[in-house]
Amino acid sequence: MSTRPSFHSLPIPHGRSAALLALIPSLTGLVPALASLPPAQAKEVRVYSGRHYSSDAALFQQFTKATGIQVRLLESNDSTIIERLRNEGQNSSADVLVLVDAAKLANAAADGMFQPVGSAALMRDVPLDLRDPKGRWFGLTRRVRAFAVNPAVVNPASLKTYADLAKPALKGKVCLRNRNNVYNQSLVADQMILRGDRAAATWIKGMVANLAQPVFTSDVALARAVAQGRCGVGLVNSYYVARMLSGQSGAADKALAAKIRIVYPNPAHINVSGAGVTRYAKNKPEAIQLIEFLTSPTAAEGFAKGSFEYPLKGYGNNPILQRFGSFKPDRLSAAQLGAQNKAAVALMATNGWK
Amino acid sequence: MRRPPPPNPTATVQPRAARHNQGRLSLLAAVVVISLLSLLPLIALGWDALRGPSQEGLGLGIDGADQIRGTLLLVLGEGLLGASLGTATGWLCAVCRFPGRRLLRIAQLLPMAFPAYLQAASLIDWGSQRGLLIHGPLWAIALLTLANYSYVFLLSTESFSVSGRRLLEASRSLGVGPWRSFWRVALPIAMPSIGAGIALSAMEVVNELGAVRLLGVPSLSAGILDRWQVEGDPRGAALLSMIALAIVAVLVAAERQLRQRSRRWNLGGGTGQEAIWLLTGWRALLAILITALPPLLALAIPTLWILSGWQGIGPEAAADLVPLALRTLGLAFAATGVTVAAALLLAIVRRWSPQPLVRQLSFVAGLGYAIPGSVLALGLLILGGPLLLSPLLLLLWGYGDRFMAVSKQGMDAAFERIPPSIDEAATSLGCSWQGVLRRVHLPLMRGPLVVGSLLVFVDVVKELPITLSLRPFDFDTLAVRVFQYASDERVGAAMAPSLLIMVFGLVAASALIPSLEAGTQQKS
Repeated sequence: MSTRPSFHSLPIPHGRSAALLALIPSLTGLVPALASLPPAQAKEVRVYSGRHYSSDAALFQQFTKATGIQVRLLESNDSTIIERLRNEGQNSSADVLVLVDAAKLANAAADGMFQPVGSAALMRDVPLDLRDPKGRWFGLTRRVRAFAVNPAVVNPASLKTYADLAKPALKGKVCLRNRNNVYNQSLVADQMILRGDRAAATWIKGMVANLAQPVFTSDVALARAVAQGRCGVGLVNSYYVARMLSGQSGAADKALAAKIRIVYPNPAHINVSGAGVTRYAKNKPEAIQLIEFLTSPTAAEGFAKGSFEYPLKGYGNNPILQRFGSFKPDRLSAAQLGAQNKAAVALMATNGWK
Repeated sequence: MRRPPPPNPTATVQPRAARHNQGRLSLLAAVVVISLLSLLPLIALGWDALRGPSQEGLGLGIDGADQIRGTLLLVLGEGLLGASLGTATGWLCAVCRFPGRRLLRIAQLLPMAFPAYLQAASLIDWGSQRGLLIHGPLWAIALLTLANYSYVFLLSTESFSVSGRRLLEASRSLGVGPWRSFWRVALPIAMPSIGAGIALSAMEVVNELGAVRLLGVPSLSAGILDRWQVEGDPRGAALLSMIALAIVAVLVAAERQLRQRSRRWNLGGGTGQEAIWLLTGWRALLAILITALPPLLALAIPTLWILSGWQGIGPEAAADLVPLALRTLGLAFAATGVTVAAALLLAIVRRWSPQPLVRQLSFVAGLGYAIPGSVLALGLLILGGPLLLSPLLLLLWGYGDRFMAVSKQGMDAAFERIPPSIDEAATSLGCSWQGVLRRVHLPLMRGPLVVGSLLVFVDVVKELPITLSLRPFDFDTLAVRVFQYASDERVGAAMAPSLLIMVFGLVAASALIPSLEAGTQQKS
C-alpha cells in the first residue's frame, strides 16, 4: 500500500465523525442559547398545550408575574401531544396538559393521562358540568357551535335546532367544515346521544345533500362564504366571527362579518377547552396553581378579550360576545361525548360527511 | 484477508481491490448502522400497529380506495406536468440562447423556496375573501407541480449543460437539429438525472399532507394519519402506509430501470461556449413564456396574499421572529450536516460494493422520504419516549431519516456519470480508496454535494410535522409559528413567519446559482 494518503486525510469516516463531533457542542450550545432556559433554581411548570392562541401567552406571563413560577410551553396538535405524552410515560417532563375538545379531554382522562386533583378553588370556579367528576381535568373556556347565517339568503328565524340544517328547503345553501374537525365530531356525538343514531344518520345525510359547495377546511373561510352569500347558513364556532368583527384580521374581514348573523340553536352544543395535571407531573403544586389561575375570573376576562371564547360562567364582558346574545346549553357531559367520539366519526364517514 | 498487491502501473487492478483494506469493514458497518437508524422508526410503527387494539380486521376502510386513487392521481398528474416543465426549462436554460436567459435560469429556483402548504393556504385564504373556490385535485396538481418541478429542472439542466454538451456539439456538427438532438442525444443522457428528479418530486407528492388536505383531496398521507389518530386504528394506518410505500417502491424501481437503460458515462467539462442554439422570433417568445411563467406564478401567490391581508399581521407577530429564525437556522444547519454526510457515505459504498445487500440497504435508507413526516414522527416518539432520548437528537434523527433521499438521489446520479474507468485508472496508479474519493470523486462531486446540501437545508427550514411533534419546550421554529397561527385561523398573522421561511428558501436557492453557472461556463 502506498504511504499516501496519510491517515488524517481520510475524507469520509473522518469528515463524518468530525461533523458528528462538531454537532455535539453545537447542539448542547443550541439548547441554552435558543431555548432561553430559566435559572435552575426557579420554580417552573411545564405545559403541553393543544391551544394555539397568542392571547394565552399573555395569560401565562400574567401568571409568572403574580407567582414567580416560570411557564415553559410546548404547543402542538392534540393527537401528537397525547401520543408524545403516552410514549414518554413516567419520563415525561410535562406537568399540565391543555386540550381543546371535550371528547379529547374525556378520552385522555380515560387513557390515564391525568391525575385527580382536589382543589377548593377549582371546585368553586369551574361548574360541575365543565369539569371531570373525578377532578382529572377542568374546563377553561366554552365555545358554542353556532349557525352563521346570511339573512339575505336564509331567514334566521327559520333556524331553531341543529336538525333544521337537514330541511330540504335549505338545498344548496348549507356549508360545513370537514369531518376531521373535532368541533363537528363532538357535535355529531352530541346529536347521536340526544336524538339517537338513526335520526343522527338521517340528519347528516340531509345536511350533506344540502351542501352548497365541498366541505371547508377552516371556519373562517366558511364564515366568509356565508357573508358573501355563497352559503346561506353554516356551522361555526362563534368566536371566529367575533374575531372578524373585532377587526383583528383586517378591515375586509370586519366588513364581511358584519353581514353575518350568529344564531344559537336551542339547546346549544357547548364544547370546552380544558386542562389537567399530568399523571407523572414533576411540579404538581405549581401545576395546580397554574390551572387555578387559568380558571379564575381574572383569566376568564383575558380569554374573552383575547380569543373571544365564552368564560366558564356567564357571557363575558366583551361587547361583541354580548351582541351575540345568550344560549341554552344542552348539558351533555364531556365523558358522554368522549365515549361517543369514534362512533360519531364512523357515522359521519358512512353518511358522506367528507 | 489478502492485502492488495503493491502498486504497479502496468497491472490492471480492479477498483474493488481498493476495498480490501481496513476501511472497507467500517464503511460497511456504517452503512448498516445508517440504514438501521432509518428503518427503526418504521419498525417501531409496525410493531406498535400490531400490538395495538385489534380492530375488526385489516381493511381499506370507507375512504381507503378514494385515498389511493387520490394519491395516484396526484403522483401521475404532478409527475407528468413536473417532468415536462422541469425538462423543458432545464433544456431551454442549458443549451438555448434567448433574451433574459441568465436571469430566467436563476428564477427557476424561486418556486422551490415556497412550500406547497404555504402556497395552498395563502391561495385559499386570498380566494375565500373574494368568493373564489380554490379546491380539488386540479389545484393540488398545479400547486404541487409549481413547488416541485425545480427538482427536475436542477438535475436535468446540470446534466444537459455539463454532460451532454460535448455530444450535443458533435451531433450539431453532424447536422442534427435541436429537436432531434434533444430526443436522440440529450434526453437519453439526462435520463438518470431527470428520473432522479421525478422520483424525488413523486415522493414529495406521496408524503404531502398540508396542501392536499387544505385543498380537500383525499390522499394516503392524510388517510394514514386519520386512521391512526382520529379513528384509533393503527393497523389500518399501517396497511395504508404499506400501500404508500409500495407506490414509492414502484416509482423508484421504474426510475432505476430507466437509468440502467440509459447508462452512459461522461466526465463533464463544458467547452465554454455560451449556448448552442440561438432562438429568435416566436421561438424566443415561447422560451421566455415557458421559463418565466412558473417563477412568476410562484411569486404571485404570496404577493396577492400580502396585498389583501397585511392588515391581519398584528403587532405581536414580529415580536419573536429573531429567536424563531435562529432556531430554524440552527436546526437546518445541523440537520444538513448529518444528512449529507450520511448520504455521501451511502452513495460511495453503493458505488464500490457490488453486493446486492448494500444496494438494498442504501435503498431502504432513502425510504423515509416517502413516509409522511407526521407518521415518521409517530415512529420516533415511540422510540424516543421510553429511551429518554433528548428531543433535539430525535429531531435530527427524524430530519436525517426524512431527507436522506433528497441528497442521496442527486449523488447517486452524479456517481453514475463518473465512468468506473477513472476509479480503475486511479487505483492502478496506486491510489487507495480514500485517495480515489478525495482526489477524484469529491472534486467531481462538488456540484451535486452543494445541490444536495441546499435541498436538504430548504426542506428542513420548511419542515413542520416532525418539528411540531418532537421539539423541546419553548423551542418554536418559523414553521411551527405558522402552524400555530394557521390553527387559530389567523392566516394573516402567519404572514411574517411565512415570509421569513420563503426568504430563507430564496437565499438557499440563490446559493445554488454558482453551481448552475458552473454548468455553462468553462471549468478551470
